[in-house]
Amino acid sequence: MVAPSDPKPAGKDEEKKGAKGKKDEEKEPELSEEDLALKNNLDMMVERLSDPDPGVVKLALTSMIAEIRSATASMTSVPKPLKFLRPHYDALKARFDTMPAAQSENRACLADVISILATTKELTREVLKYRLAGSPSDLGIWGHEYIRHLSGEIAEEFRVRREADSSASVDDLMTLVKQIVPYHMTHNAEPEAVDLLLEVESLDMLEAHVDAKNFGRTCLYLTSCCAYLPEPDDAAVLRLALRIYRAQGKHHDAQRVALRLNSREDVESVFAGCEEPLAKKQLCYLLARHGFALNLEEGPAAVEDDDLRESLREIISNSKLSEHYLTLARDLDVVEAKTPEDVYKTHLTEGRAPAGAAAVDSARANLAATFVNAFVNAGFGQDKLVTVSGGDAASSGESVHWIFKNKDHGKMSATASLGLVTLWDVEGGLPQIDKYLYSSDNYVVAGALLAIGVVNACVQNENDPAFALISDYVSNADVNIRTGAILGLGLAYAGTGREEVCELLSPLVVDTEVAIEVSAFAALALGLVFVSTGREDVVMSILQALMTRSDVELATPYAKLLCLALGQLFLGRQELAEATVEVARTLSDRISQFAVVTLDSCAYAGTGNVLKIQGLLAMCGEHITAEEGATHQTAHQGAAVLGLALIAMAEPLGGQMAGRLLEHLLQYGDPVVRRAVPLAIGLLHTGNPDVLVMDTLSRLSHDQDAETAHNAIVGLGFLGAGTNNARLAGLLRGLASYYYKEPTALFLVRLSQGLVHMGKGLLTINPYHTDRQLCSGVALAGVLSVLFPCLDLKATIGGKHHYLLFALAAAAKPRMLLTLDPEGRPLPIACRVGTAVDVVAQAGRPKTITGFQTHTTPVLLGAGERAELATEEWLPLSPVLEGVVLCSKNPDYVEMEEGK
Amino acid sequence: MATVKLNVKWGKESFSDIEVDLSQSPLVFKAQLFALTGVPVDRQKVLLKGTQLKDDDWGKAAPKDGMTVMLMGSAEAVPVDAPKNAPKFVEDLPEQEQEHLDTKRFGAGLENLGNTCYMNSTLQCMFAVQPLREALYKRGAAAGSDPTGKLVTATAELFRDLEGGGAPFPPYGFLMALRAKFPQFAQQGRDGEYAQQDAEECWTNVMFALKEKVKDTDGTPAVDKLFGIRTHLALKSEESPGEEFTEDGLAFTLKVNIEDKTAHVNEGVAVGLREERERTSTALGRTALFKGATVLTALPPYLTLQMMRFFFRRDNQQKAKILKKIPFSLEFDAYEFCSDALKKQLEGPRQAYKEAQDAAVEAKKLAKKGPGPQAEAPAAEAAAASGADVDMKDAVAGAGASTSAPATTKAMTGKYELVGVVTHKGRTADSGHYVAWVKQPSDGTWVCFDDEKLTVRSEEEVLQLSGGGDWHMAYLLLYRAIYADVPVAAEEPAAAAAGKEGAAAMEAEAPASAGAGGVVGP
Repeated sequence: MVAPSDPKPAGKDEEKKGAKGKKDEEKEPELSEEDLALKNNLDMMVERLSDPDPGVVKLALTSMIAEIRSATASMTSVPKPLKFLRPHYDALKARFDTMPAAQSENRACLADVISILATTKELTREVLKYRLAGSPSDLGIWGHEYIRHLSGEIAEEFRVRREADSSASVDDLMTLVKQIVPYHMTHNAEPEAVDLLLEVESLDMLEAHVDAKNFGRTCLYLTSCCAYLPEPDDAAVLRLALRIYRAQGKHHDAQRVALRLNSREDVESVFAGCEEPLAKKQLCYLLARHGFALNLEEGPAAVEDDDLRESLREIISNSKLSEHYLTLARDLDVVEAKTPEDVYKTHLTEGRAPAGAAAVDSARANLAATFVNAFVNAGFGQDKLVTVSGGDAASSGESVHWIFKNKDHGKMSATASLGLVTLWDVEGGLPQIDKYLYSSDNYVVAGALLAIGVVNACVQNENDPAFALISDYVSNADVNIRTGAILGLGLAYAGTGREEVCELLSPLVVDTEVAIEVSAFAALALGLVFVSTGREDVVMSILQALMTRSDVELATPYAKLLCLALGQLFLGRQELAEATVEVARTLSDRISQFAVVTLDSCAYAGTGNVLKIQGLLAMCGEHITAEEGATHQTAHQGAAVLGLALIAMAEPLGGQMAGRLLEHLLQYGDPVVRRAVPLAIGLLHTGNPDVLVMDTLSRLSHDQDAETAHNAIVGLGFLGAGTNNARLAGLLRGLASYYYKEPTALFLVRLSQGLVHMGKGLLTINPYHTDRQLCSGVALAGVLSVLFPCLDLKATIGGKHHYLLFALAAAAKPRMLLTLDPEGRPLPIACRVGTAVDVVAQAGRPKTITGFQTHTTPVLLGAGERAELATEEWLPLSPVLEGVVLCSKNPDYVEMEEGK
Repeated sequence: MATVKLNVKWGKESFSDIEVDLSQSPLVFKAQLFALTGVPVDRQKVLLKGTQLKDDDWGKAAPKDGMTVMLMGSAEAVPVDAPKNAPKFVEDLPEQEQEHLDTKRFGAGLENLGNTCYMNSTLQCMFAVQPLREALYKRGAAAGSDPTGKLVTATAELFRDLEGGGAPFPPYGFLMALRAKFPQFAQQGRDGEYAQQDAEECWTNVMFALKEKVKDTDGTPAVDKLFGIRTHLALKSEESPGEEFTEDGLAFTLKVNIEDKTAHVNEGVAVGLREERERTSTALGRTALFKGATVLTALPPYLTLQMMRFFFRRDNQQKAKILKKIPFSLEFDAYEFCSDALKKQLEGPRQAYKEAQDAAVEAKKLAKKGPGPQAEAPAAEAAAASGADVDMKDAVAGAGASTSAPATTKAMTGKYELVGVVTHKGRTADSGHYVAWVKQPSDGTWVCFDDEKLTVRSEEEVLQLSGGGDWHMAYLLLYRAIYADVPVAAEEPAAAAAGKEGAAAMEAEAPASAGAGGVVGP
């Protein structure tokens, strides 16, 4: 047999010949002498095939094969020998049929020739048919193009056979597959190998062929195609990638896949499998960013070494987050506190002369200022409204502390905003909040409790102050204090799965004696704490609440929060939610549909599941004529629209498609559907102010339907959250003057302005992180806790439950790249930041970023941007440069000499 | 046995290795913490792994050696109780008040009761004269029950209502009183509707009524003091050079005559002051043409200029309007129209005013460089000085103040600043629309009062009211005198002439101008 030729020189050869082939084609009508000779030669060989002498036939076949193999195809033209043989295709087939079985070797060779000739014809699986009859030679000798054809036909044949009979034998095909896969894997065609194995349902074969050279491309393809696979397969490819990464000792990559699988065992075993302390620390940074609580004391992920455990705990508990964030802020010189007016920039608003200081404060305007102030100064620990010491001012009686310049629930939000301003800084923030717990005003106490939760959001202090401080207030008689305490607990322990919180809050969910408001918030808090765990006892409590509450109560927006909490518990857990969905179907018709849709879309959040999308789309397309006062009949449609975005948000293609679907809904949907569309758009593009999307929302923000317009304003806020986008800021200023006379709309415009300038542009609330590969469940739950209530905007965010906005604290994270040296000190390194390029299945070693600029860390990363180090001196411990990245000194680094 | 060492974290501070005896109650530990931090025991919250330490029992969370606990609480008790004067919010107010909230402090709009815009705009402009308001409030109530008295009472009431601000209201009472006193305003058109009237006529007539009734303690009408311009007319005939007629008078407005060449308000005033008269000359024994000009011998605190835009065209028997553009400025200098004696008086204050202004510019420059105490000191001093006006008439009030502060007083400079404009829009006098533009004494914002509507305007927009198109153009211009601080000694002679009229106004002016620093004015 002929040994497979080296692919690379052959490839070059191909190109050259291809170029020549093109030239030849131009003078097509007249064949050159050389070609004519070849043609005649081939014609003669075809004739000789009919010769009775097997020897002659064999000779003819060998020379024919030699001709074919010496010629190679280009993309545009068929190789000469094949071109000349094509007319004889049917003759060859006939000869094959008539060839006596005795000449098995010749028959096989002929089959080879027919098989390769079939690649030039549009026929049904003839390549495969004759391949199976052909000689068992190495397939590689026929070249890459042939293998591709063959792979395609194998997949097709496989499907046909399985459709006819699910247990049909496919052994002959598998023999071929076993030949093809190694060929692909050794010839830089890993994606083709994966595709073929996926088609023939034997992905397990892949692992044996993965080595240190090709695992990277293989896994990249596996993890990327996962978004387009149906339900059991998507997890299967991820598991495979996880195994490969682990086998290759790529802990960080493996950990990311494990997190994507949302499988605690895998995360723990990957963590335990990583021995190197520095790499372990980097894993902790990843887990901290994702909001994954890991027990380092006991269980599979336990760390023996006390010192190491302590430093890992510090990382995973996000204790240093505040410090790192302030490092970034100092580096970018944005420490100075901003006032709401700095955000509103009313002096830039045209046509509206400033009315000056009005004699009477507007509670609405002050509340808006409270939120804007909290958002813009989030995490900085200082502002010019709430952290200002009221001591001197209050004693002189002249000025009133800002908190008391708010009304009723406004005071609660104002106090709670203290938590957002001191976000993550537990030790600095709590003492400032503590004094408000002694206030005689219940709203202030409630706000202080919420503030404690906000400060602790995503941070686990070793002394666990939140539970100690809040837990006593949960049973308080005052409904507002209760609410503040419940939400505070929910935020403080979001994603941690703390047992005590469950014990404390579960009874409140079930208890029908307490107001549904309290029950709903308790459920929401539990949803945040036990996000995507699917904990049964919590699920049962919420279901019980939904079953026992009266229809009147179920018609309130609070019931929807119960459903949302249920959804949060199953966030991204797919089929795990099925049983609960069935139970939800049996609920009262006031809520059952809403519950089913919410649960379903949450369970499939970020999966891109096409079937679910179609189901939701059908639901949105229904034109239900609800009777007077029976809004519950259409309520689920709003959730369905949000669900569309929720399921499709994982990857850009699906997102774009969802965007087009939403555009459709805008044109043909009922009011309920239309109203939810801006929110869905906001969810799809959180913190990613795409110009086209911005235009759509801007158009909707002037919609005739007030609720659509309101939601569009909120959507704009989400769209630009934490980006400081100038265009969006200008747009919102315009809206502020447009809605000058409408308090609710103006309030929302202010909120959105605050969101856009969140953390002075250093924060993001997008749940997707680490190169958009991972979706933090906690962050998504936080975002949903704001977006779902927006479906009943007037009764929730626009009404007295504006404090729900603080749930965004669970989602807020700095959008930075901060590099640390092995000791954990900030390390300024040159790095390049540019637009990320999709390199999946790209040949060679493509550049991962384009249009980059060189900066020194710490540096901000925008949506769709990626960073890479610009120096060889340091080696990052994480392949994805985002968030906090540890760097170790490159031992091979040699200082470049000056002037070179 | 049970002595453990604990680390305590208190905010950003931390205390390490505190020896704690577990056999004693936690209260003892808290007392230890009090000694360390000064946080009162009842305000201490000691947090151990998710629980709060109780006072009497270590509970299940007995601390282990080397543990870190967290202490919360602040050393100084900061009461965060609701302030007693809880702020009132817009949302608490009735809906109607909410609507006019942003313009409430500027006053209220007046509803149009059928072609009464002339009256509304005149009133709004008059309302801007704060001393007049006060004089009215003092005397208006006792004005009597004759038509004039009723009108004065109605004016006082209306001003009070305007001061309350808020929603627009219909000025019925005033209109009735006005029509009762001056029946010409009740003139009706062919279809029985009330006709459009001349704003200036309304202004003059109301002033006339006020003059009659609103008098100071010494019997001088307040209107005279506020608006009265003392004039001296000297006429000479070319035919008999030796002869001269003089005539002293009291005017309330300066006419701005518009001729073909008039390019600015000042020129118009000059034309308005020129006079030619035929009268009997004793020397010649026949009538001769006497020519001359009026000069101003005393200036009022408020100066009214009337643009003579309307005239009666004989050919079509109509009151026509001159649309010509006559620019005016935000500051009006009456110096050139004054008598020589008055000019002399004005020179001192004018010099002082100029110096004060230069000083202000300097101070501004200094402040820009670096806000040092030197820059602020003179301003503060000046502010203190201006607060201690020497009041010539009210000796009781003035005596205390004049002794303590460096004796300065305010004196007329002959310069005026624009505070109000009544504009007319339309081609003829009998049609169109009147609107008042008033600079708010409180904060200097220009507000346009268009019947019931109030709009905030800019100075540029006001200056565009000079005419020359179909837009609103100035008809009446109301200027307020700019005073300068001058030493008392220099004030003596000036007070004799200018002070008499100015003092009453200054008395009223003081609260409005106290914050203006060294210079009273813009």
